[in-house]
Amino acid sequence: MKFVCERDTLERAVSTAYRAVASRAGALPVLSGLQVTLSPGSVEFTGSDLELTIRSRVDADVEGEGKAVLVARLLVDTLAKVQSGRVTVEIGDDQAKIEAGKFRSELRTLAASDFPRLPEHEGDPVKVASGPLAEGLRQVVPAASRDDARPILTGVLVTSTADGVRLVATDSYRLAVRDLAGMSLLPEGQKVLVGAKGLGELQRLLGDDDVEVFLGERDVTFRLANTEVSARLIEGDFPNYQQLIPSGYPNKLTVERDALTSAVERVSLVGGTNRDSSPIRLAMSSDGLELSATAQDVGQSFEPVEAKYEGSDLTVAFNSRFLLDGVAAAAAQEITIESTDPLKPAVLRGGDAEFLYLLMPVRIA
Amino acid sequence: MSEGTEPAILHVDLDAFYASVEQLDDPSLQSRPVIVGGLGPRGVVAAASYEARRFGVYSATPMGRARRACPEGVFLAPRFERYEEASHDVMGILRSFTPLVEPLSMDEAFLDVHGARRLHGTGPEIAVAIKARVRDDTGLTASVGVATTKFLAKIASDLSKPDGLIVVESGKELEFLHPLPVERLWGVGPATRKRLDRFGIRTIGDLAALPEETLTRAVGDAHGRHLHALAWNHDDRGVETERRAKSVGHEETFPRDVVDRTILEREVLRFADKVASRLRRAGLAGRTVHLKLRYGDFKTITRSRTIAEPTDLAADFARIGTELLRAVDLGAGLRLLGLSVSQLQEAVAVQEAFGLDDAESPRGSEKTRRDRGDLERSVDRVRARYGDEAVMPARLVRTRSERDA
Repeated sequence: MKFVCERDTLERAVSTAYRAVASRAGALPVLSGLQVTLSPGSVEFTGSDLELTIRSRVDADVEGEGKAVLVARLLVDTLAKVQSGRVTVEIGDDQAKIEAGKFRSELRTLAASDFPRLPEHEGDPVKVASGPLAEGLRQVVPAASRDDARPILTGVLVTSTADGVRLVATDSYRLAVRDLAGMSLLPEGQKVLVGAKGLGELQRLLGDDDVEVFLGERDVTFRLANTEVSARLIEGDFPNYQQLIPSGYPNKLTVERDALTSAVERVSLVGGTNRDSSPIRLAMSSDGLELSATAQDVGQSFEPVEAKYEGSDLTVAFNSRFLLDGVAAAAAQEITIESTDPLKPAVLRGGDAEFLYLLMPVRIA
Repeated sequence: MSEGTEPAILHVDLDAFYASVEQLDDPSLQSRPVIVGGLGPRGVVAAASYEARRFGVYSATPMGRARRACPEGVFLAPRFERYEEASHDVMGILRSFTPLVEPLSMDEAFLDVHGARRLHGTGPEIAVAIKARVRDDTGLTASVGVATTKFLAKIASDLSKPDGLIVVESGKELEFLHPLPVERLWGVGPATRKRLDRFGIRTIGDLAALPEETLTRAVGDAHGRHLHALAWNHDDRGVETERRAKSVGHEETFPRDVVDRTILEREVLRFADKVASRLRRAGLAGRTVHLKLRYGDFKTITRSRTIAEPTDLAADFARIGTELLRAVDLGAGLRLLGLSVSQLQEAVAVQEAFGLDDAESPRGSEKTRRDRGDLERSVDRVRARYGDEAVMPARLVRTRSERDA
């Protein structure tokens, strides 16, 4: 079997599917490959690490039908280096010939029969507008944990609300909540926990068209024009996040988002490579906001930022990356940070009430 | 810089170190003049016991003169390996009080015990405890100076020798320093002394009273400024560890190769407990846990895992260490097991976390974690007072009774 395709479209499809290929194949070496499925008029590439599966389809001149597994890394690197133009891929019993211009290679394939059976979506899809979903994911996904030791926190809670759906993620240091009104992603009363990694990939792929969502027993699949993203559902109960959100705050800071972002970036530079764990102090008073950071053996930096503050004088410290994530997630130019004291969570909001970012402080001894 | 701060810089100096080790190893040498050094024609004395010093034999005395001065002396060639070993033991004792130990040579070191005071008491109390531990564990005697600066701590230990302890109280530094002869200052050798003598300067107080410009004219710019600063006890050098500690760990070689996982897991628990305790003493927390395993055939492997936030809790190290251990093949058994923690940072800034109720969290809820932290810190305090064996995890207690049985 054989297919011919334009290099640029082919490369786009291959690198999209490649994002789901396991970085370490571990027990299943075939997962370091991309499954290539030839059918009349199109070729589909499938990458998977079993938690996340991405399929991308591309139109091509196809001769024959069938499946093969190509070493993913080599295919991606090859396509990145060859010139634009026609690429011909001819697949034999245990090797694939790739031709592009004067370039030729013959690559050993992996055993197609070893490639695991991946989830096939079933039932009827729900149609969802891509724009709001992408925005919600952009705001919430970064707050999920990357620590596999706490699997539940590596997921995003998707839960139905009275008039739509709510996305929630926390890594136990910050919590992001976004309500998407009018989005009928889930049947009423239902909630699922979806791996944040898969949702992050979905967010990158979402364009202007609607996305079709198939919710299965163990997986959720998002179907876009030429791409499908399937994520395993995480089992277990998401922690009761609502009890974390204080009902009111005595202190409120209002500040311009871009001014705060660039000042935090400058002041936290002193933390050097350890910036992620070096706190930034926010001294809030009627004079406004002063940022400062101190790093042992390096030095310190300060910067006042114009801001409006209502409340009693208060200094509170945050992990600067966590703070920047929250500020970046806020959709509005003007953001508010409400707080109680240096040890209680502060809440960051941007404009509307649909997004909330709760952030635990860093305690400075 | 000294006012208002308690003295917490210690200078610990072993008395007549090489000679004392020789007397320790050969009891027949005790209370006899022992002189260690190069025995050849051009040799000099490396160390003289206090008995030998009565004959006027000191370090750097030419050996020939030493033999004439002290004919009944016992003259020995140095055994540096043995001294290294004794030094290692003593530095180990010092580091059990604080990781802020700056060794100057085999037989002396500075310690900064500011951070250790909550656990081990005041600087002077720690000095007493160190002297006792060194004597009990190694049989050697140490002299200790306690002061607010390194410079003064060293002068104090020198003055206290042998087997002495001098504490220079905060606020009394100059009272202590100024009557001392000027040679006590670092950097005042015979040449400088002669020059100062011309100005009628005999004591450190005399030197302090001299205007800095006069002093710099007499002995040179940099040297003058340096001496002037010292004479006023201006010494802001901190205690610097050999290399900034990159990791803190504990390892042990077993008398027989161990293949029993239950035993090894208990050892992991015990090591985690020790390592966490040392980190907390140092005010440090770490993110990467390393497990080192050496097999019977000396093949050595290490396994490590890094967590998101630094911790100083034994419970965390034990959990990670156990998981790492469970993932390795023990083969025919281990002759050595070690656990260490790296990616250290000062535990001054602690990221607070939500009190989440996800039961799957292997660290337990944040509430449990905080309680665990409080518990381990209480254990530190009990141990500081009653010794390391006073409190230990129940699984380890069982190990001991099994051992006794």
